[in-house]
Amino acid sequence: MISFSSLAVADEAEEASDIVSATEETNIDNETVEETEIMNNSIGAEIRLLQLEKAITKNLLKGERAVEVLKALGHNTSELEAILDEMRLLLAEVQEADPEAHDSVQIFVDLKSDARALTKQFRDKIRELLDDAKLNEIREQIREMTNDELENYSKRIRNRIRQLNRNQLHRLYGIIGETNETLAEEYENGNITVGQIKSQVCKTVNQMTKEKKNQIFSELKEYKIRRKINAQVSADDAATNFQVREQTRLNNRLQKAETTNDAQLQQQIQNRIGNKTNNGNGKGK
Amino acid sequence: MNKKIISILSLFIILVATAITFSHFNQSTTDTQDSSSYNDATDEQIDEEIDDSFLDEDDEIEIGEMV
Repeated sequence: MISFSSLAVADEAEEASDIVSATEETNIDNETVEETEIMNNSIGAEIRLLQLEKAITKNLLKGERAVEVLKALGHNTSELEAILDEMRLLLAEVQEADPEAHDSVQIFVDLKSDARALTKQFRDKIRELLDDAKLNEIREQIREMTNDELENYSKRIRNRIRQLNRNQLHRLYGIIGETNETLAEEYENGNITVGQIKSQVCKTVNQMTKEKKNQIFSELKEYKIRRKINAQVSADDAATNFQVREQTRLNNRLQKAETTNDAQLQQQIQNRIGNKTNNGNGKGK
Repeated sequence: MNKKIISILSLFIILVATAITFSHFNQSTTDTQDSSSYNDATDEQIDEEIDDSFLDEDDEIEIGEMV
């Protein structure tokens, strides 16, 4: 049983971890660090990579729709299309990423950073071309955009999250010392929600003795803090040589672009390589 | 007369000693109760930890808006 003094030490570690996050915010943002917390196992890593795949696919669809509107208005969309072409190369890299790889956190951090950079580049470019009224019109058109591909992603992600939660439920049962297999099966089969699972587990724990509740609380807290510290360590590792890896990715993409004879895409990637060289500061996202 | 004064004085000392002992005992009990309630995890804290153990099924990651 973990004593409350060790919990206090763990709390201090949690505070220390927050300080590290704050001081290194210029490297890996806190939101991304939190997202990597579940990547300590292959299911968690698979969820994050699938979510990134879905987010890029969604933005590609929105970007394609925006380009259609711009073309109809007579604008030159070649630069925007080149950004979308690079996004397609990025999407393929995410799809090829191995969730079981030892550096899956680093891969996720790198590719998410690229996805954000390309999304911002597209957004900035389209804002140069259209006024606020037209931009709002396009936003309305693409806001609730969905298709079968996105629905399929949502189903796969939900299925994986259920597996992750089922594993978490079994971990909780190990701590509590009680098991309800029916509940776990019902959840796995999609007959009950994660909210109902939480509510049932809380109800079981709340009926226990004060000592048992303290023990459960300590173990849950310790697990959470350990997971946060591991995520921070992985994020710090991912921050090391971030710019070097980014340069390598862009060079690899340029090589792929050269095989497609897509001059605009080659120019887009070359510009990004040039910008990174000129503005290189060793910082990630 | 002296015996009477000594008896009153003794009684007074006993009363003061009892009062001090009672006060001290009462204070210790309160401290123990405070310490105990400080250390005990509340149901809300436990519920929060259980809640944090699971991932929402509609969880998504954000990479920004295209427009």
